[in-house]
Amino acid sequence: MNWRKVRIFVFTLLALCLIPATRYYQIDEPLLKLLRGSNHIDPLSLHLSGEFVENNLGTEQDADGSVTVRMIAQQYLFVPHCILVPAGVPVHLKITSADAVHSLTLNGTNYAVKTLPGTVSLAELQFPRTGDYKTVCREFCGAGHYAMRSEFKVVPRDQFPALRAGERGACVLQ
Amino acid sequence: MLTVMVAAGSLILVASDAAPDRIPSFVTWSAENIAAASSGDAFRGSLLAKRCDHCHGAEGFSPVASTPNLAGMNMLSIWKQLEDFRSHKRRSRPMEPIAESLTPRDVADVVSYYAELPVFPDPQDNRVFPGMQPEAGRAAVAARLVTFGDGERGIPPCQSCHGPVAYRVGVPSLMAQNGDYVLNQLEMFASRSRFNDINLPMRTIAALLSEDERRALAEYYGAGLGLQPAGSSGSK
Ligand code: HEC
Ligand code: HEC
Ligand SMILES: [Cu+2]
Repeated sequence: MNWRKVRIFVFTLLALCLIPATRYYQIDEPLLKLLRGSNHIDPLSLHLSGEFVENNLGTEQDADGSVTVRMIAQQYLFVPHCILVPAGVPVHLKITSADAVHSLTLNGTNYAVKTLPGTVSLAELQFPRTGDYKTVCREFCGAGHYAMRSEFKVVPRDQFPALRAGERGACVLQ
Repeated sequence: MLTVMVAAGSLILVASDAAPDRIPSFVTWSAENIAAASSGDAFRGSLLAKRCDHCHGAEGFSPVASTPNLAGMNMLSIWKQLEDFRSHKRRSRPMEPIAESLTPRDVADVVSYYAELPVFPDPQDNRVFPGMQPEAGRAAVAARLVTFGDGERGIPPCQSCHGPVAYRVGVPSLMAQNGDYVLNQLEMFASRSRFNDINLPMRTIAALLSEDERRALAEYYGAGLGLQPAGSSGSK
């Protein structure tokens, strides 16, 4: 056995481990899901079918009083650009990316949701206070990244419009 | 029995309530589509383009400011527009029947021809481009939006998608576009009477711009100011 060669091999292996070790924060839920192959969605045809077609984006009223918000992150916008949700109820956020990796970060909260093309990220949010929460993209995604911002408008529960099936809430009802 | 009937009734209600999918365009940027759109024969395209000369100009520069210039356009972007006219996802009285009369191969050929045409000036051509220079203050408003966008309002810089800084696939170049045409399109996106942008980028951005900003941007591009890299013209 040539111990010198073994030592070099083991050392190289350890050195290679350092690379993912410094980037562990990028290996989060959506990426793991992607690796597992579940939750797959074609980022190029979001507009053709499935839950991210444009008239299904925005806020949906669920039967139990909570709401579901569907959004698309793309270079260099979040759509819909202004999301309307009621305060004090659970908000199930479903967001996917049409292109690069983005991160929807809600200023004034601890919420940050990473989005990856090909997977749907799920996040459970709740806003105790009403107000306008600015969102920013916290994952560098290209030339227009720093202008990639949008807004969550949190209104009192009784001011949130009663949505019928098929209707989606946004700052302007669409 | 009664419960079964009630259940059936409510199922129908749910089904009829669910809105049909609203599809902005049947185009996807799959590898096959990109290959098909990029495989045209520019020479054959030049023959087909005789039918377009009348409106889009013999050199791809239109004599009417509300008709778009096609010279030097990104192949994929005008390919998509012709596909959308063909499927009536983009509405236009002249263009829908013209696009319908083209075969998929014709479309690929004609777009590869227009994409190759140069955007150099030609004084002998009857083009309207470039239009009048805008007043300095208005040009500065537009240059700022083109170069930096407006982070506060979440408006990304035009040049990050439309070039020349970066091109997103399928985004038309605006560098040599007519001002009136640019303004019309911005108005139509804002009012959603043009709705063929995939995942809503332009409907969103155009609606965030003020009427004044849309005009300033149209004057800026229409005057050919987009031909220079905008980083430099912003401060002038
Ligand atoms: C009768 C005049 C006319 C003729 C002929 C014509 N076009 Fe057009 N074309 C227009 C007008 C007007 C528009 C702008 C439509 C709008 O306002 O939305 C247009 C738009 C287009 C666009 C969209 C450009 C963009 O930047 O989005 C393409 C591509 C196009 N035409 C290609 C062609 C081709 C190829 C032919 C020939 C086969 C042709 N046109 C013939 C009038 C014409
Ligand atoms: C996020 C990327 C993005 C940004 C930023 C953007 N656009 Fe666009 N724009 C598009 C796309 C995509 C299209 C093509 C839509 C389609 O597929 O029909 C388009 C189309 C257009 C058109 C129609 C052009 C034609 O030939 O038909 C105009 C005009 C336009 N944009 C103006 C602007 C202006 C002005 C700005 C800056 C305020 C801007 N855009 C910023 C993505 C963008
Ligand atoms: Cu981003």
